Amino acid sequence: MQATLELGQKPVGRLLWQYALPAIVAMTASSLYNIIDRAMIGQVVGPEAIAGLGITFPFMNLSAAFGAAVGVGASTCISVKLGQKDYKTAEHLLGNTVTLNLVVGFLFMVACLTFLDPILRFFGASDVTLPYARQFMVVILLGNMVTHMYFGMNAVLRAAGKPRHAMYATLFTVGMNILLVVAFVWWFRWGIRGAALATITSQSLALCWQMWIFSDQRELLHLRRGIYRLKADLVRNIMSIGVSPFLMQTTSCVIVIFMNNQFVHYGGDMAVGAYSIANSMAMVFFMFVMGVTQGMQPIVGYNYGAEKYDRMMRCLWLAISVATFILLVGWALAMLFPHQIARIFTNDPTLLEMSARGIRLDMLVFPIIASQAVITNFFQCIGKVKISIFLSLTRQLFMLLPLAYLLPLLWQLDGVWYAMPMSDFGSFAMTWPLLWWYLKKLKAYGK
Amino acid sequence: MENKKVIINIGRQLGSGGHDIGRMLALDFNAQYYDRELMNLAAKESGLSEHFFEQHDERKSFFRSFLHLPNGISTNFDRQGFSQDSFFQFQSEAIRKAADEGSCVFVGRCADYVLRDYQNVVNVFITASMDFRVKQVMSKQNFTSAMQAQHFIEQGEAKRADYYNYYTGKKWGHATSYDLCIDSSILGLVETEKFIAEFIRKRFDL
Repeated sequence: MQATLELGQKPVGRLLWQYALPAIVAMTASSLYNIIDRAMIGQVVGPEAIAGLGITFPFMNLSAAFGAAVGVGASTCISVKLGQKDYKTAEHLLGNTVTLNLVVGFLFMVACLTFLDPILRFFGASDVTLPYARQFMVVILLGNMVTHMYFGMNAVLRAAGKPRHAMYATLFTVGMNILLVVAFVWWFRWGIRGAALATITSQSLALCWQMWIFSDQRELLHLRRGIYRLKADLVRNIMSIGVSPFLMQTTSCVIVIFMNNQFVHYGGDMAVGAYSIANSMAMVFFMFVMGVTQGMQPIVGYNYGAEKYDRMMRCLWLAISVATFILLVGWALAMLFPHQIARIFTNDPTLLEMSARGIRLDMLVFPIIASQAVITNFFQCIGKVKISIFLSLTRQLFMLLPLAYLLPLLWQLDGVWYAMPMSDFGSFAMTWPLLWWYLKKLKAYGK
Repeated sequence: MENKKVIINIGRQLGSGGHDIGRMLALDFNAQYYDRELMNLAAKESGLSEHFFEQHDERKSFFRSFLHLPNGISTNFDRQGFSQDSFFQFQSEAIRKAADEGSCVFVGRCADYVLRDYQNVVNVFITASMDFRVKQVMSKQNFTSAMQAQHFIEQGEAKRADYYNYYTGKKWGHATSYDLCIDSSILGLVETEKFIAEFIRKRFDL
């Protein structure tokens, strides 16, 4: 508990740095990998392939949703049990996690492979993009159990007090993936399949290492016979926590499906490609912000609980400033060099032009999103979860979906693009008044 | 008989008089009584405010489960951090610390689970008929109608059970989790307390 106490004592700036850095490293690494993946596919396989890849994103979200339901749920339960020194239950939780991941991963694979084409059509695939999307997804789905296991075990590693190992696993996967993508796609010319194969292979290797750690009999928490049979109450506990990450992931899945369909409808396949290019650019910077908000969480949460409101507020302002600064850099790059950025992903003139325009429109009011994300997270940290959920849904669901439906009726393809900065601005305009209102209440309570 | 250390954990249905019985037992066995006092202890240990502990006491809601989420993707590397489960952890440590110091009576807070490896522990669960509990609750909480009181009981117990089942992996109020289960509306609070005390004396040869 010593580690927790420092949250109320150490200088806020240093704490934020200490807690945010690992998260930022992991987040940036994975978005970097995404960029290289997409750049390889766009440059080597072609512009239709990148559109096909864009169609599969909701699939990845959905798979991640099931993975997170088990992974987050299990790791939380395990860390509670370890805190209670109840090693027997913790071990059963570990075994149940393995089984659950395999079961869920397998069912997901079978269900999706059976209905692959209709699902992809529903996600917005056209005759041109469907073959690419299918090739990619077949490999990804066949390796789905590995993916689930890998993410689940990583979460458990963290819960078991081995956060460093979990970070090494992430960095290893990202690094390996980049090497393999270059080898498979650029060198061997295996096409979009090569990219999928690179993902699965690097995750398999990381999984082997994770399993090796958990098979060590000297470890407090290790795999042994008799822990794999599912126990109803453990599964229920895992799932009760897993529901919330599952819902969050499913929401983003729904949004991408809808946006992709709108882009296909108004701009054809190339527009989907442009959307996925613009998105990966925005994501690189946004992931940074996510890292900062994650680092902020324990600090704000603890100091709120300790009623050290000045420390809590200092952390909030610092996080907002840092996050806004990062997004300002991203915004400047997007406004000044959109063509150069798009050139990373493609050399097709149509797609290039469309993406450059898309990047500019998508990120038009980018910096204001920083404070929106930080404040939304702030409400979550202090237990005002309903406000937090409401705010994050405002931006993604309540604003973006209706706007992306209505605006194209006026401006066609441009309308779909306009929906993004407009929903950004709308949610920003909702977030700040809520914060002011809350801070006023807090001050009144303080007196 | 006061020389031997005894630890008495009381689980109770809402309105069954578990608090009063606990206090009487504490007097009988010269033990320290802990119920809300645990929160002060836990607060002192953790540097968090008592007010905050009261908010999280024996409660675990669906929306709070969102607290586990580091917004989307979980990469919360150094899990030395801070979440709802930290409260349970702090409280558990306060319970263990109190149990190390001497004889105690704990009411609720999963003490039976937290102290499962301790010697000289006796776990009691107190139930009572709904009529009895409604009367108890009405006199203590200033409810005017029995309906209100019953609603209050049902809601409160659902929360208690949720909390207990989640953290202990056992079933709240399930006879196998306890050494003695007793309905306090049959003998009345005073006689029930005497009966429990007798049971504890026999159990520990006091």
